[in-house]
Amino acid sequence: MTGQSELRINRRARGDAARPLRHALSAFMKAKEVEPDSVDDIVTAVGEALANAIEHAYSDGDNGKVELFARLDAGGTVVIEVSDQGAFIERGQRQGRGYGLQIVRRIARWVSIDTSSGTTVSMIFDAPDAESFRDVKAPNLER
Amino acid sequence: MNPAPTIGVIALSGELDIGRRAEMQEALRLPAAHGAMLIDLSAVVYADSSILAELLRFRAEADRRQVRLALLITSRQLSRLVEYAGLSEAFAIFDARGAALSYLGETPA
Repeated sequence: MTGQSELRINRRARGDAARPLRHALSAFMKAKEVEPDSVDDIVTAVGEALANAIEHAYSDGDNGKVELFARLDAGGTVVIEVSDQGAFIERGQRQGRGYGLQIVRRIARWVSIDTSSGTTVSMIFDAPDAESFRDVKAPNLER
Repeated sequence: MNPAPTIGVIALSGELDIGRRAEMQEALRLPAAHGAMLIDLSAVVYADSSILAELLRFRAEADRRQVRLALLITSRQLSRLVEYAGLSEAFAIFDARGAALSYLGETPA
């Protein structure tokens, strides 16, 4: 992974919006050779943030937009923001729905929720690229 | 000796996210005829926590009716989702169909 790369994409916040946004994020990270298990975990966390954003739209009935921003930094860090125009709803407030934010917090190194204008969930992840992962897993045995 | 319970199977596949919540609710209905149920999630390639809420609802109904329940999960992503949610102990989870069916086929004590 060299330099810095960004992805910005938005969709109408309908139930079918999360899938293409997840796929775009996954393809973006794979293209930058982020290690596959890290891609899975990051997509899992971001999928929860997207589900929450889409749920806002359902509850508000406004069908606004949800935006995904991702930035890969050279040091093996992925910064992601999921933004919508609705009020944040912690899914724990609903029967059996309290796991989204818990899952995000288990995976991300840092999480922040800004509700000053709509809702933006910001997350930072450690994401070793495949090359450095191979370096860790396969030490040089030559003397 | 009690006979082994009849085992029902519900299979879900693909990407289980918030957009398929209604479909999950419809699929995860406990049928009347079975003493044990296998939820086969081996063809699931991605899931968000929407499925966890539905599985917990299904488990509560199964517990009420004393129906034995097992989950078949082979995807790393779904397995990790369950783990991150702290629900690994909430279900009998198997990564091989034969093991899940053996568990369900055992006559409860």
